[in-house]
Amino acid sequence: MTRRDFSERDIHMALDGELPGEERMAYDSWLETNPEMKAKSVRYIADRAALRAAFAGVMDEPVPARLRQALLGEATVRAAAWRSRWWLSAAAAVVLVAGGLAGYVAGIDGIGRGDGADDQLAEQAIAAHVIYAAEKRHAVEVPASDKDHLQTWLSNRVGLKLVAPDLAAEGFQLVGGRLLPAGHGKAAMLLYEDAKGERISLFVTAESADKAKGTYMAEKDGPEAVYWLDKGYGCAVVGSLPRERLAAVAKSAYGQLLAGLAS
Amino acid sequence: MNEKKAAILGEIPRLRRYARSLLRDRDSADDLVQDCLERALVRLDNWQTGESPRRWLFTIMHHLFIDQMRKVNRRGEAQMLPLEAGEAQAAPAEQVESIASREIIDALQAISPDRRAALVMVAIEGFSYAEAANILGVPAGTLMSRIARGREELRGLLDDSARRRSIRVVEK
Repeated sequence: MTRRDFSERDIHMALDGELPGEERMAYDSWLETNPEMKAKSVRYIADRAALRAAFAGVMDEPVPARLRQALLGEATVRAAAWRSRWWLSAAAAVVLVAGGLAGYVAGIDGIGRGDGADDQLAEQAIAAHVIYAAEKRHAVEVPASDKDHLQTWLSNRVGLKLVAPDLAAEGFQLVGGRLLPAGHGKAAMLLYEDAKGERISLFVTAESADKAKGTYMAEKDGPEAVYWLDKGYGCAVVGSLPRERLAAVAKSAYGQLLAGLAS
Repeated sequence: MNEKKAAILGEIPRLRRYARSLLRDRDSADDLVQDCLERALVRLDNWQTGESPRRWLFTIMHHLFIDQMRKVNRRGEAQMLPLEAGEAQAAPAEQVESIASREIIDALQAISPDRRAALVMVAIEGFSYAEAANILGVPAGTLMSRIARGREELRGLLDDSARRRSIRVVEK
């Protein structure tokens, strides 16, 4: 005899292997005496078989090359699209930044070197970073989940074709971005975060006539900015990272931003 | 290739199957898998060797899927989701699907993403209720009601399309 009353809920549990073994016999006899429930069970079993059959073929498909590459750390197909065309200019730019950093590391730093446009940019970028990177819930206006909108919106406001760099290889995921005042114009700030919650930001503005590059620290032990300016745009990467890591992030961001600007 | 990456590589066919059941379109599904792999790489340290990577990877992918669904809803593009997928969207050319498969795939796309994920997780991917609830981040009771509602909804949709098919046959 049944030790408890069964219901439609048990049909799902039986189907999904969640019915305790000792209840199985009682369940089966309950089903036999309830034609309506029996019909439901038969139907659900058939639907499940159809579902499994419909997707079985996916398991036999070869793993697409781009997924293998994404996992095994080779160049991804997405990144390769611009690399093919913008490889030369991006590579040249990377050399400039690396050179600038090497100079800094060697002690020829930019601290207190006067008040040029480059220092202004770096100071604004650091100030923005200090304020917003510390915000837990209100760090950004547009979250990364809305990346396409974020890029379009900031591009339109700042007047540059902005592409949020993919810094996953450096361990950073985009959190989102916001629009900020910068000098007489506007700047875009993109915030990134790594698995440990360490944040860095990218600060991009269309206002620049100078050509400069370097690193800047507003105060001792404060966050550091790696920046570069060219005709028509200026950019700074700010964070409190070990210098080598910040340099690697800046290098990657620079190459991708440049490729985006030129696209 | 290190041990962890080799283990993840072995899970890709399952991740692709799950993604395909969630998103239907092959490229969108593979984009989801790629995002999942990229995020997994960043968080490789969070995963202990010896532990199955399956639940870990499915959890990452589920979060990405939910983010994507929220984005679609917020942008008001929900109508892009194939509510009447059979009519609204031609089956991808490279996929050879039987009529039965196409109908059930379309029906699956038409049920709510939450129910779809719960049902697929248990009925196709073979996770236990406890595992699925853990991956989806919901209590077991919620999972069970999503599965039950999902099955009912799926059955209703399949009945509808069978009815439409028979009407078409009659009209000819």
